[in-house]
Amino acid sequence: MRKVLTIAGKELRSYFVSPMGYVVLGFLLGVGGLIFALTYTAPQMEADPTYIIRVMVFLILLMSPVITMGLLAQEWASGSIELLMTNPVRDVELILGKYLAAVTLLVIALAASLEFPLILEKFGDPDWMVVLTGYIGVLLAGMSFLAIGLFASSLTSNQIASGLLGFVMLLFFWLIGWLGYNISSKIGEVAKYISVFENIQDFSKGIIDLRPVVFFLSLIAFFLMLSVRTVENRRTA
Amino acid sequence: MIRCEGLTKYYGNHQAIADVNFEVDEGEIVGFLGPNAAGKTTTMRILTSFIPPTAGEAAVAGFDVIDQSLQSRRAIGYLPETSSLYQDMRVTQYLRFCGGVRSMSRADVEERMEYVLDTCGLSERADSIIGTLSLGFRQRVGLAQALLHDPPVLILDEPTVGLDPNQIIEVRNLIKSLGGQHTVMLSTHILPEAQMTCERVIIINHGRIIAEDTPEALTAQIREAETILITLARDDENVSRQLLDLPDVVGVRSVGDGSYHVDTAVGTDVRAEIAEFAVSRGWGLLELRPVEMTLEDVFRQLTTEEEGVE
Repeated sequence: MRKVLTIAGKELRSYFVSPMGYVVLGFLLGVGGLIFALTYTAPQMEADPTYIIRVMVFLILLMSPVITMGLLAQEWASGSIELLMTNPVRDVELILGKYLAAVTLLVIALAASLEFPLILEKFGDPDWMVVLTGYIGVLLAGMSFLAIGLFASSLTSNQIASGLLGFVMLLFFWLIGWLGYNISSKIGEVAKYISVFENIQDFSKGIIDLRPVVFFLSLIAFFLMLSVRTVENRRTA
Repeated sequence: MIRCEGLTKYYGNHQAIADVNFEVDEGEIVGFLGPNAAGKTTTMRILTSFIPPTAGEAAVAGFDVIDQSLQSRRAIGYLPETSSLYQDMRVTQYLRFCGGVRSMSRADVEERMEYVLDTCGLSERADSIIGTLSLGFRQRVGLAQALLHDPPVLILDEPTVGLDPNQIIEVRNLIKSLGGQHTVMLSTHILPEAQMTCERVIIINHGRIIAEDTPEALTAQIREAETILITLARDDENVSRQLLDLPDVVGVRSVGDGSYHVDTAVGTDVRAEIAEFAVSRGWGLLELRPVEMTLEDVFRQLTTEEEGVE
């Protein structure tokens, strides 16, 4: 555990000595704030936090590959992976450490974005239950995005390539749900089941259902496991 | 402390090392000497569990580098050839990070850090950001992290590359002082470095180990001459004496069956003269060729002199 925390601490630190951490926070609060302002200043708009949740999920989907793209790709590109992997660190500890750093940055960003419901509170009467379940949903979805992004970063030594790859994979899980509305067969059903968009719906209505929770946790475990396997395989290449 | 048996590594179709066998005893300082691309780094990367061998096995401190790699890695301090450190960290931050991933207690890290910073001449640059350091200082940071957890085995890949002459002397003295308590294996392509720092030298070329001995014994093997082999159909006892009369011939040794090793001064080629002479004497010249001496060839490829370093 100490090793995981050491690696996570190192990565988290480098998010904030480089512009990366600030860019992520700035994007989320800046663009998020703009959309928030435009949405809630519309005539007859209610203080319904559902929109905040939907916007946050989408923005975090956009930012996740940026957060994760360098985590492993950079190590391979600079050669620093050699010193890291010749230390007595298990591959799974390496992956968990990197992942924990990314998740911590996400949590910081989400905490900062609580300003949006707080502003709503000042002008209206938002349902804080929806805010709570919504944020749990956003956190779970965001953690899945980061696991997918980390896997993309484990595949290549090129940061840009890993970022784009992560983005493409995330778009797949986002857009696949549309198929569910267009096709009514079993394939359509499956498409809805694996769509991130479909799985976030309940959370943004104040409901915590076990099914989407299991879905996101499985997604996280699956892609973290794939990342560990990729690192193991690249070692033998 | 270090044992390799039949280590072989292929990168695709390219064979980097072939059937590498050697052992290093506890407390020894062993030099791994060879020209560039001889397979030194590949061997060291296998020993440090960074890459697995294609065939063969290796153990460090009694632990197999594949099956018990956590234990073997714990026993090693490793300085890679290009020590890619995290550029955005301060020296002390980086060393604390290294201590953390090696499960050292915080108190241990602080105590050892003071020692390694001092030993590696980094005390004044302890708070510098690694990216701003010169190559020589970065190499010292690499050395410092290798020493941090006081490992029984040190594997140093070209430890003096990028250092200036004074620093080279310091690092060599440091390595020498580590012998006894630590088992040290260092690679180098510089002959005097191996002679000065190592008790034993393993020479590798084209992925194969070609010699293993003390530096003195190996140097003695390198005669200051080039050797030609001749084989005669009609041998007689005067051959040696008569050949010695030829210009540039410095020695003649019979190797049996009418064959002789003719040593000639370095840089001369007297094959034509020897052939002519043998024919004129009616010795029946069957064969005449330069003797291939791998070890000497290798030595020729090594850097044998260094500017500014005594």
